[in-house]
This record gives sequence, C-alpha cells and structure tokens, in this order.
Amino acid sequence: MSREEIFERITRIFREEFDDESLVIVDETNAGDIEDWDSLAHVELVLSMEKEFGLKFNIKEVGELANVGEMADLIMRKLA
Amino acid sequence: MRQSESISSLIKVANRLAKNYEKEATAPENAPKVRIAVLSNFSIQHFTKILRYSLDKAGLRSEIYEGEYGGINMDILDDSSPLYKFAPEIVLLLMRHTDVEVESAEEEIKSLGILWDKLSGIPGVTIFQSNFPCPIERPLGTLESQYTWSSLSLFREINFLLTKNHPSNVKILDLEYLSAYVGKERWFDYTAYYLTKQGFSMDYLMDTADEVTRMVLPMYGMTNKCLCLDLDNTLWDGIVGEDGPLGINLDPNDPIGEAYRAFQGYVKALSKRGVILAINSKNDEANAKEAFEKNPGMVLSLGDISCFRANWEDKASNMSYIARHLNIGMDSIVFFDDNPAEREIIRTYCPGVTVIDVPNEPENFIKALDQSGAFEWSAVSPEDLKRTETYKANEEREALANLAVNYEDYLKALEMRGSCRAVEEAELPRFAQLINKSNQFNLRTVRYKEAEIESMMQDKNFACLAVNLQDRFSEYGLISCIVLKSGKEAEALGFDNTDIFIDTWCMSCRVLKRGVEDFAFIRVFEEARARGAKRIIGEYIPTKKNGMVAGFYAKLGFRPMKDPLNKDDAFARILYSYEVAERAQPGFRGWIERL
Repeated sequence: MSREEIFERITRIFREEFDDESLVIVDETNAGDIEDWDSLAHVELVLSMEKEFGLKFNIKEVGELANVGEMADLIMRKLA
Repeated sequence: MRQSESISSLIKVANRLAKNYEKEATAPENAPKVRIAVLSNFSIQHFTKILRYSLDKAGLRSEIYEGEYGGINMDILDDSSPLYKFAPEIVLLLMRHTDVEVESAEEEIKSLGILWDKLSGIPGVTIFQSNFPCPIERPLGTLESQYTWSSLSLFREINFLLTKNHPSNVKILDLEYLSAYVGKERWFDYTAYYLTKQGFSMDYLMDTADEVTRMVLPMYGMTNKCLCLDLDNTLWDGIVGEDGPLGINLDPNDPIGEAYRAFQGYVKALSKRGVILAINSKNDEANAKEAFEKNPGMVLSLGDISCFRANWEDKASNMSYIARHLNIGMDSIVFFDDNPAEREIIRTYCPGVTVIDVPNEPENFIKALDQSGAFEWSAVSPEDLKRTETYKANEEREALANLAVNYEDYLKALEMRGSCRAVEEAELPRFAQLINKSNQFNLRTVRYKEAEIESMMQDKNFACLAVNLQDRFSEYGLISCIVLKSGKEAEALGFDNTDIFIDTWCMSCRVLKRGVEDFAFIRVFEEARARGAKRIIGEYIPTKKNGMVAGFYAKLGFRPMKDPLNKDDAFARILYSYEVAERAQPGFRGWIERL
C-alpha cells in the first residue's frame, strides 16, 4: 500500500471520527490542532486504524507518535 | 465472541446515541428508565456509552452515572459524593484482579462487604458486583492448581465466596464466565490496559454490557416464562407422521440421534428450573403423542409438557391458544422451530414472542437457545422448581373438575389450604419475583426490587403480605403479593392518615378463580382494622395486559371514589374505597381453609 493511499484512509477515519467532511489532515497534524481530539477520541482513532489496516499497535509504538505523519510511517512499516 | 460487529463501529453507534439520546433512542418513551451508576478503577467511558446502547436495544431507557477514574472507594465512602445525589437503582462495581490487594479471599469479601453496606444505604438499591476473571499468568506454572495459596487459587476462592456469601441485594456479574467463554487470552489486552487503562479487551465491551442488560431486564418485569417447541426435526430427527413413532431418529448410538437427545436433555433442565414447556406442531395429535409414549430414545415425557398443541392449524393461532391456555402473555413466550418459514410467521403475527434463530445443525441447538439469554430471571425460587409438577397436577385437577357437578363443588373438592401473612425474610426473592413478573393479575403493576421490599418490611407504615396456597394435588407456594400503605405513606398520596392504601395486589395466574382474592381480602380487612384504619382504598391502573382485574375492587364490594388530588377527570386516578368502620368483617370465606 502506498503512503498516499494510507494517508487517504487515515483522513477518512479522522473525518468520520470528528464528523467533519472538510477536515484536512497533513503530516504535522497533532492533537493540539483538533479541538475534539481528547483521550477518548484518541482511543477510538487507534481502534479504527487497527481495524482499517488489520494490525495491532503496541504501547511503545503508540507512545512515540508525535503526529499523523508518524502514524502513517508506522502503519507503512508494519504493513511492509 | 458473541457480538459479531466490530467494536469501532459499535462505539460509533453508541456515541451517536449518547450525543443525542432523546432523538436516537429506540426504546419507547414510556419504557422504564433505569438509573445505573458504574464504578470502576479502570477506564469506563466507552463502556458506559455501550451499556446505554445495549439497554436501549433491549427496550429500556437509562441514565448512567459514570464514576471517577480509579475512584471506587472515593465515590462510595464519601457521603458528599455525587453518586448519592444521583440516587441510582443499580450500582455496578466493575473490577479486575488488579483491584485485589489482600492475601486472603475472606479479607477481600470483607472489604467488598464494607462497600456493599455503605451502598445499601441508598433506598432500594441493587448492587451488581463483578467477580474476577482469573488472570492467565502462572508464576507457579502447572503447580498453580496444586496449592490453595497460589494466586490462581486465591481468585477462584474469591469468586466462589462471592457466589456463596453475597447478600440478597447483591447480584454477581459473572465476568469469569464471560472471559472464559470468549477466551482469556483474548480477554486480557495488556496493550489496552497499560495505554489507556482498559480493564479488558475493548472487543468485549458489548458482550459485557449485554450481560449487564440481561441482569437488568428481569428487574423490570421483562422475562420469558414459556418455551414453545416444534416437534419434527426440532425435538427429533425425522417426521413422526411419515416415519412412525419408532422410525424417528433418537438413537443414542447415532450422532444425529444423540444430538437431538442432548437437546431434549437441555430442554428438560429448563423445565426443571421452572420454564413452562409447550408444543406447537403441525401433526396429528395422536401421532405426535405416540412418539413421546413409545420411542425409548425420548428424554422428554408428556408430563413435562404443559400445553400440547399438535394439529393442522396455523402456528400463529396455536400460539394465541397456548398463551390463553397457560394464562401468560405472548411476550413471555420463546419459540424454537427448525423451520425458518414458521419462525417468520410467528415474528410477523405474534410480535411479542421471542423467536430463536435456530441453526441448521442439531448439535448447535443447545448453544443457540442457551446463548440467546431468553430465560434470564432475577432469581430461581422454590416455586419455580416445583412448577412443572403443578402443571402436571393441573391435569388431575381437570379430571376432578369433570367429575364435579358444579364449580363450587369442584372448589370444595380441591381441599385448598392457605395462609396470608407478613412476608418472611426467606420468601423475599420469590415475593420480588412475583411482583416483577405478574402482568395480568396486577392492579397497579408497580415493580419493586428486593432491596426496596426489604426496607418496606422494616417500615411500620407498610405491610407486605404474602399468600401461600396448597391443595390436594400440589403445593403452590407463594402465589400472591399485597403491599399496603398507611399513616404518612397514605397521606403522601393525598389520602387521610387513617386510610389504608393498597399499593400492590398481584397474583400468579396459575391460581385464578380459586377465591384466593376473597381469602386474602379478609386478611387485608383485619390488617386495616388492627391499624385503626377507617377506609381501605384501592386503585386500578390499566395497562395493556391487566384488563382481567378492571372490575376487581367492585367485585370485592368496594365503591368508586373521587380522586382527592385530581378533580379533573382526565387526570384522576381510578379509585375505590371500602369503609372499614361501617362494615362487618367480610363474611364470605371462600373454600380455602386457613393454615
């Protein structure tokens, strides 16, 4: 799966989670940029990604993520 | 996993419901509203939303109090905690093995007991205490089960003591069972625990919520009483009309025959715990009964069946007949039939009936019926365990009725003996069960939980009367409940403090037309007189199901009465009064001899 394709799917998950079809996600987007991105939303995002890409994250991986770009990189690594 | 939908889609639905509850809820607006507090030391924000969704699906409205994270003790032990302002009907204590900090099971039960005691100060509260899924790590390896002092033995013992020693207002939420059912290796999710303090894998939030819902439903009278079964290819392999009573397959040496016999065994176990069995089958009655009488492979016998309907009428009409004959509502019947077309007919024409999705393979019949949770009751009472016997005795009773010249003679010949007196501690679960299950013979259909009844029993402004009955054929046990209010309780409803108000009068439909109500009324009258009451006041609140008691108070000699609170007829209560002072003790004693 290409990084673009992964990013596209991530964007879809974010738009669904925050119920905002115009939401634009870039590599640098982090929890500070989206008002409703609290710890509950975070749990839901991680669950949705795991389901979307059919994988499981471990605590180290999730703990190290600083923004959406790193999330996309992580997914790419895990799918490789 | 019982829940097949993925948890992330379930959370989305639950979130939508939580955001706009009034608009999204599917439970009817007049459905009971459950007030439930969820307390846990792990993270429960998703669980509470899923629980609300689960309750809604089951037809219950809810309000949920979400305890502070890590704050079970804080919430419970602090008198000023918002928990007490919330005034929950149910408090759910969701725990896991990491909550146990003591070395012995007795100590753990003792410390839980402190929490239960404190919570029991909330009027009428029921506590749902989870037990503890035994962890899968084994520091002693295969020796964990070798020693009583191992960690595994500790949790097993705690779980056992919870079952053995819990007070009657505490119900056990069996997470040990649920985790074993789905597989503990999946249940425990360490990533989710360390990252976001999930007590167990989020995949099982819905299953856990559904388990709680199953415990809540019977508290609001939503229970099934009767299992209605088809015959051919449901209770045995083959068609009795074609294959003959000995040609159908119930051979213990044949895999298919053995599977059907096992299913019959499970059904028999249901009947032993008090589930009424009925047959609804397209067959000649004689043929169908012959299989029961002649096939040596049958586990069920005709005596287990309370209503046998085998004919060529449509199954929906037969279903109405069964409901009428057994004096139960359609919505307390569960239908099990291998034929999808028949299931569809019942779904369409008998909307209250619970229809089980029967799998194609007979070896999975038990699982389908068992996991449907169709027979969740708040308790199993001695009366339940005797029920089948009672229905069998009904046949003998009917034979007697055929001999008797008239109904009066019949009632006399039954040699009924009964008692009507203050309910005793040991009868409490049955008393609560009857109050919550009776729909037809129920004047006001007020539901009370065990804990509420217990506090009424202590209060001198209440009288809780239980009627027990036996006749020459069987012992019915506790079959009618009456709750009276006097003094300031009567005053609070707009009556005089010298009035007795009949808050609850309900009766099991198994003893209709026996004069039980006349018998019990004598005791109500005596109670009123002993309390120096001037009037006895009764109210009838009509529901869809209790039409049979619309004229109840008039028949007992009560007179219609104006509602002192609502002069406006549209809102007035339907009240009746009986002047105690003016009238002598009711003379008619019926045919029940006082025990």
